[in-house]
Amino acid sequence: MASLPQAPPDPVRKVPVARPAPPAIQRVRRRRRPSGEPPPLPKHLNASGKWWLALSALVVAVWIVVVVTGSATHFDVADTRMLQAIADIRTPWLTRVAKVTGVLGTPAAIYVIWLANWLLLVVLRRWRHLFVWIGVGIIVVNIGASMASTLQRPRPFEVEILGPWAGFSMPSLPMTVLSAFLVSTVYSLVPAGRFRAIAKWVIAGLLVVTALSRLYLAQDHPTDALAGVILGVAVPLAAFRLLTPNDVYPVRYTRGRPAHLDVTGARGDAIIRALQDQLGLVASEVKPVGLAGSGGSTPLMITVKGDPETHVFGKLYAATHVRSDRFYKLGRTLLYGRLEDEQPFHSVRRLVQYEDYVLRVLSDAGLPVAHPLGIVEITPEREYLLVNEFFEGAREVGEAEVEVDDAIIDQGLWAVRRMWEIGLAHRDIKPANLMVRDGTLFVIDTAFAEVRPSPWRQAVDLANMMLVLGLRTSAEQVYARARRQFSDEEIAEAFAATRGLTMPSQLRRMLRQQGKDLHGDFLRLLPYRLPPVRIQRWTWRRVVLTLATLFGGAIALSLIIGNLLGSPL
Amino acid sequence: MGSLAVLAGLGLSGCSSDTTATTEMPTCADAENGNASNAVVLMAQSVPTASYVPCLRTALPLGWGFHHLDARSDVSVFSLDSDRDGQEAIKVRLEESCDTSGSTEILSDREGLQRFERVTRTTPHFEGERYYRFDGGCITFEFRLAGESRGEGLALATSAVGVISRADLIEQVHEDSDGRLSLDPAAAEGEP
Repeated sequence: MASLPQAPPDPVRKVPVARPAPPAIQRVRRRRRPSGEPPPLPKHLNASGKWWLALSALVVAVWIVVVVTGSATHFDVADTRMLQAIADIRTPWLTRVAKVTGVLGTPAAIYVIWLANWLLLVVLRRWRHLFVWIGVGIIVVNIGASMASTLQRPRPFEVEILGPWAGFSMPSLPMTVLSAFLVSTVYSLVPAGRFRAIAKWVIAGLLVVTALSRLYLAQDHPTDALAGVILGVAVPLAAFRLLTPNDVYPVRYTRGRPAHLDVTGARGDAIIRALQDQLGLVASEVKPVGLAGSGGSTPLMITVKGDPETHVFGKLYAATHVRSDRFYKLGRTLLYGRLEDEQPFHSVRRLVQYEDYVLRVLSDAGLPVAHPLGIVEITPEREYLLVNEFFEGAREVGEAEVEVDDAIIDQGLWAVRRMWEIGLAHRDIKPANLMVRDGTLFVIDTAFAEVRPSPWRQAVDLANMMLVLGLRTSAEQVYARARRQFSDEEIAEAFAATRGLTMPSQLRRMLRQQGKDLHGDFLRLLPYRLPPVRIQRWTWRRVVLTLATLFGGAIALSLIIGNLLGSPL
Repeated sequence: MGSLAVLAGLGLSGCSSDTTATTEMPTCADAENGNASNAVVLMAQSVPTASYVPCLRTALPLGWGFHHLDARSDVSVFSLDSDRDGQEAIKVRLEESCDTSGSTEILSDREGLQRFERVTRTTPHFEGERYYRFDGGCITFEFRLAGESRGEGLALATSAVGVISRADLIEQVHEDSDGRLSLDPAAAEGEP
């Protein structure tokens, strides 16, 4: 194939289009949060959670006092008199009713609740709730069993016990475990709001009925049942409210990515307050934008008061995104080996700081990125908002209405060349991350960008940019423009490095939809081809991680089968 | 994955069928006031008809340890571990009745209790049962002795495991509650 006319790579290139200045945004005086003042969206336990925890502490305190003073007899006598009074009303039919209504306290029923929740949470892929559920189950069962073994309270005296029982009586282990499981079920499966409020009353009713049944049958003392319920309610209540707060990990059954946070209610108010305090931006509205193209954060369009009103763009990051990032990178390492150095972030603060830093590096280099406006703390170490310029009226480069001409192609290719020069790779060049407005191309979403990446990774950026630009034009047109900024060797290297999984999934999908072999078209235009760059590379890290994952998985599986899938009672 | 493994590891002691078992030894008499432990009282409650309840009357010899007690309605079982004869080498079971068919009655070493012996295996390890039958109950010793010295386990069952009468336990509960409580319901009071 004849080589196309080519300009030699020029070490100093002009910026194809001057980067537009940031829009004027009206700001007010910022305010520093004084020591002791809670953050905009503090972690919290509701009042009822504190009340139940206080009750639990009281129960433990009473236990200690009883053990130290040897005053258990007073409780035994009081409990016995109550049980005797209940036993006085026993009749055959009432006994049958009590045995039926007490079914929730049986090991079989508790086992069914345990397994059903396991199954449902796995099916719903609500992993965090599942882990908290398991943790609560294990902690409550162990605390209850340990306390019963320590306190060594026999079963009720002087009353015939009509139902089955096992072990010492204080606290009532069936009531403890049942309470914990029912509360856990409500907090992991029932959406917050009216449904959860109703569910709480339902479980309160179920617990009362079960407790009355057990007292009628004299399986427990009244104080056993009371202590069991307090312990069984307090632990899951505290655990779920602290570890799966509804505003971060909402229980919902609507379609939508779990990464997207609800920005209404308390969080919406907190964002508005924090924007004013920390950035001096008086926001009038915060609403999600472009959720379909975002999986790793919650993108927001924030309306800022002023004359005229302006908009800024926010990316809300939470601890969930850090965990997702960690598992995503572990998965990539296990599947693909040393594609690039994929080290996970260990805190949401670091993640946001890094993205802000990369954005500033790109901005300082004159690249067409959004002007950074700063980081806003919503909840310390848990939620941060990265704020930058909003490209008003910009459209994705892949959209049919957008005109992609030589000028746009040159800007896209120049952006890659400039990133090469400053030692950066974007690593997520896809149609959704290239915006066009008034003949200017903007590069957005720098979350995956890497400073001093591997040469392979930089080459992939070039090929992906050419493929994206070729979606709306042709391989010939893009290739011709590319040769004005890149040598044949560089372009050949880019297409040797890029295929299949090295392309973002959106780009692969759009290439499939168009039904043309754009990648093949570019390869055919090349004067020569370089051998494909091998992307499956084994490293010691990958070997160790693979072995550790397999080993950990096998252990977890055996423990799950051997223990967690067994009956808690 | 890591967090799941940790949780599962924690669950080893929690989510299993022996959650309600206790490692509290059912001693016949404590050093302080000579009372039987609450674990023995619990065993008595598990078989309300039993006129005798098994208990540990001496400290276990070196190499032997208490495994656990599982007391529940209708049956109580505790077991002893041996570093030579294996885990749960001796199980002691209290029930309302037991099947002694195929066993041989021999002279009892405990007053008021009939003794039966049955050997089911002698090699490579010893397996057998010993029964003590009495009014309203039966105590079964199950031997699974993997060590070479089977005599030690059999002797331990005689020396370390004793019985306490229900009458004594009723008296104990009565005294501990300053005369306000009794072990059994009034209708069953005094019955075997």
